[in-house]
Amino acid sequence: MIEWQIPLAILATIMLAPLVGGLLVGIDRKLSARMQGRMGPPIIQPFYDLIKLFSKDALVSTKMQLVSVYVYLTSVVLSLVMLVLGQDLLVLLFVLALGSVSIILGAFSVRSPYSQLGAYRELLLLLSYEPLLALFVVGVYLATDSFMVRDIFSLEQPLLLTLPLFGLTQILVLAMKMNKSPFDISASHHAHQELVRGVLTEFSGPYLGIIELTHWYELVLLLGLTVLLWATNVWVGMALAIVSYLAVIVLDSITARMTWRWTLQVGWGIGIPLAVINLMTMYLVRP
Amino acid sequence: MGSASWLTGGLILLPACAGVLCYFLSAARWRNALILLTSLLLIALSMLVFMRGGLEYTPRSGIWHVLVTWADAVLLAAFFFYGWKRRNVLVMALVLLQAAALGYVKVVSGEEAQPLFVADWLTITMLLIVGIIGSVVVVYSIPYMRAHEEHLQLTRSKQPRFFLLLLLFLGAMNGLLLANSLPWLFFFWEVTTLCCFLLIAHDDTEPAWESAYRALWMNLIGGAGLAVAMVLFYHQAHTLSVREIVEGHSSSVAMLLPLVFLCLAGFTKSAQMPFHGWLLGAMVAPTPVSALLHSSTMVKAGAYLILRFAPALRDTYPSYLIALIGGFTFVMAAMLAISQQNAKRVLAYSTVSNLGLIVACAGLNTPMALSAGVMLIIFHAISKGLLFMAVGVIEEGIHSRDIERMEGLFAKMPFTTTVTVIGIASMLLPPFGVLIAKWAAIESSVKLPVATVMFVIGSTFTVMFWTKWVGKLLSVSPGNPPVRMERLHPLYLGTLGLLAAGATAFSLMVAEVLNRLVVPAVTRYYGSAGFATDMPVASEVGWFPVLMLFLVLVLAFLLPLLFIRIRRADVAPPYLCGEQVEEVPDVRFRSAGDSIEEVVAGGHYFEYFFGEARHNRWVNAVAVLLLILMFGVAVL
Repeated sequence: MIEWQIPLAILATIMLAPLVGGLLVGIDRKLSARMQGRMGPPIIQPFYDLIKLFSKDALVSTKMQLVSVYVYLTSVVLSLVMLVLGQDLLVLLFVLALGSVSIILGAFSVRSPYSQLGAYRELLLLLSYEPLLALFVVGVYLATDSFMVRDIFSLEQPLLLTLPLFGLTQILVLAMKMNKSPFDISASHHAHQELVRGVLTEFSGPYLGIIELTHWYELVLLLGLTVLLWATNVWVGMALAIVSYLAVIVLDSITARMTWRWTLQVGWGIGIPLAVINLMTMYLVRP
Repeated sequence: MGSASWLTGGLILLPACAGVLCYFLSAARWRNALILLTSLLLIALSMLVFMRGGLEYTPRSGIWHVLVTWADAVLLAAFFFYGWKRRNVLVMALVLLQAAALGYVKVVSGEEAQPLFVADWLTITMLLIVGIIGSVVVVYSIPYMRAHEEHLQLTRSKQPRFFLLLLLFLGAMNGLLLANSLPWLFFFWEVTTLCCFLLIAHDDTEPAWESAYRALWMNLIGGAGLAVAMVLFYHQAHTLSVREIVEGHSSSVAMLLPLVFLCLAGFTKSAQMPFHGWLLGAMVAPTPVSALLHSSTMVKAGAYLILRFAPALRDTYPSYLIALIGGFTFVMAAMLAISQQNAKRVLAYSTVSNLGLIVACAGLNTPMALSAGVMLIIFHAISKGLLFMAVGVIEEGIHSRDIERMEGLFAKMPFTTTVTVIGIASMLLPPFGVLIAKWAAIESSVKLPVATVMFVIGSTFTVMFWTKWVGKLLSVSPGNPPVRMERLHPLYLGTLGLLAAGATAFSLMVAEVLNRLVVPAVTRYYGSAGFATDMPVASEVGWFPVLMLFLVLVLAFLLPLLFIRIRRADVAPPYLCGEQVEEVPDVRFRSAGDSIEEVVAGGHYFEYFFGEARHNRWVNAVAVLLLILMFGVAVL
């Protein structure tokens, strides 16, 4: 990337990602509704919701809540920008984790039993998906000899051929991070089975709006990581990302929430072994 | 060479002499003045060595060798006496083993290593840590021990003895770092063991003595390892010079066994599994002791020893096993920390875990891994010193070290809570130094994927236990009256503030820390440090844009904190199913029978999943197995 293009790329990322993310969420809602035999809202409904949230009073319980929301937004946007600029994947992951930690601390900062219980569950969720993301990064390194995203694009054959099992773990990560069933232990994305919304209970109005916006950025980021699996032809990569997104939506519709123990067991009993098997194979066949 | 002799003598003898003087000064005011002065001088001395860029010194007079030999005898006799006092056969046997090995070495080896004291950049880095952080902890002890003794209602102050041991400890640490001759290193090593033993037992209660004896026998195993290593080194290479061993005979297989014995010594001192028990027990001692043991002295001596001898183990199988032992300790200690409710125990497990990471870095034995290890030593020392001191102040404030009791502590002790949160953030979050070191560790571990997997999983556990704790500290009821700064002793304010500022400033200046200390320390033995020099904090395979991250993330935190005002009308009570009592500022709700109840949101520690009861046995078994394997591959 040439010098003058960098600010443009950053600006484009910040402007376009929420549009894409919002539309993807709209499609998700439409598809989920159709699978349940409902009409479903218009595809741009998430944007209406967001505008509505921003027009409400800014109520909070503690100042830390408000700070946590901004740090969450900033760190997710920052990691997306790092992805677009081809930066270090491991650092990207650390920044992303900072965002998760921040929103968890926001939930902890109110002495509310619902919000705090949600925060603990979000931590358990983090414990389930974070190793998978980090191992994905290690896999990328073993395939490219670099942690930099930009070096993935100079590969001759797509990553998925060397990292097939990480295609699956990325789906797990996507489902867990987007709070999809059966992994929606801390708060359900479409509020499937709940009266009180876990880790998000104490956020409302514009602050909930910012969290929603951040989720869109996060969705684009996670799908972007999946695109990396077929970076030799970005269109194929995008198709791959859309397929995994559809898989998550179907999974969300056909399953119900399970316990946090089960989630942890899936992350650790299925996700990590898949990742480790893939890594071991790469290590063994490596010249 | 005049100044080299003064610096060496000052670093080792000044704290020791000041300690002895403290012992005879019963007037608290004079003693405190002396302690302050000594601390300042120690900081100055370590800075002088830093500016000098190293030193080499051999005392001209042979009297010192005779003195050290006698002191060795006295030390071992003291250990034997303590073993005899409790009829502890293990302690006595280990002392006898050491005495035999040491006596043999002293008799057969004629002349001592030349030069006797050496400081290269690794030494200087450690000297700065001991000098600065050690001194800060000693200064912090002045108000702490006064409050501690008032609390215990002692009739006769034990502070003279306490400060004697504390200062002696610092002197011995400096000696251990400077010594280039293994018998001298052994002597200082044993002095730190003795100081540690006596400091843990300081409160003279049964649990204190029990923990002290556990620390004693575990560290004596290390001492025995060191003594045996000396005998073997002398037999294989006819040298007891640290420098010659590290540089000269790196390729020979026969040197592996003594090196592995040295590493065993390092493991015990740096509380690697299965020897981590003593560090957990050590927290019965007054908090400054923990702060000292965990940050700048004792455990760092073990890590230092392994980093020091790592170049001699390059590309050997034992080196890989060291990486595995360290990695295993890193993961398991972080996991067990999740289940702990006692703040000091969480800190202790976190120390064990981080030391595991340092040891693993030494075992990986690539230039960048070594750099990561040295960086971790530096940043961990600052943050952990800060955290222990903060917990000490919290304990004084709320009379508990239970994390559950720290709920909403920000409302009661805003300053202490803020520095605690800074300390935890500096252990956990980007772009602070510990995380930069962890990044370097992970990027350098990829040649040994098992280690990478361990690093990754351990890091996740780390996030979990710290976040839970910070969550408790920050959890407040809405609508509380505005918080007011708590009243603290000025020395508390100064020491805590200094370390909190240091943790932040050093992270910001990480490129400087790397270029001034870490790169020269590692390049000396590895030819390079694994970092690109033209760009700040870039490895050969990645890039950590520290300043950019700092700018963006700190702004994202500070701008809303400082510039968004919450109107009184915008403060909402938490959701309690519509049953909350609106009038009172606390969080209460109408329960059954219209009784008014306070909301209790207890913490989760996931005992069943991550608890000691479930894991201790197999974890120790695996750790012992790894140790045996390490010896196995060294022999074969």
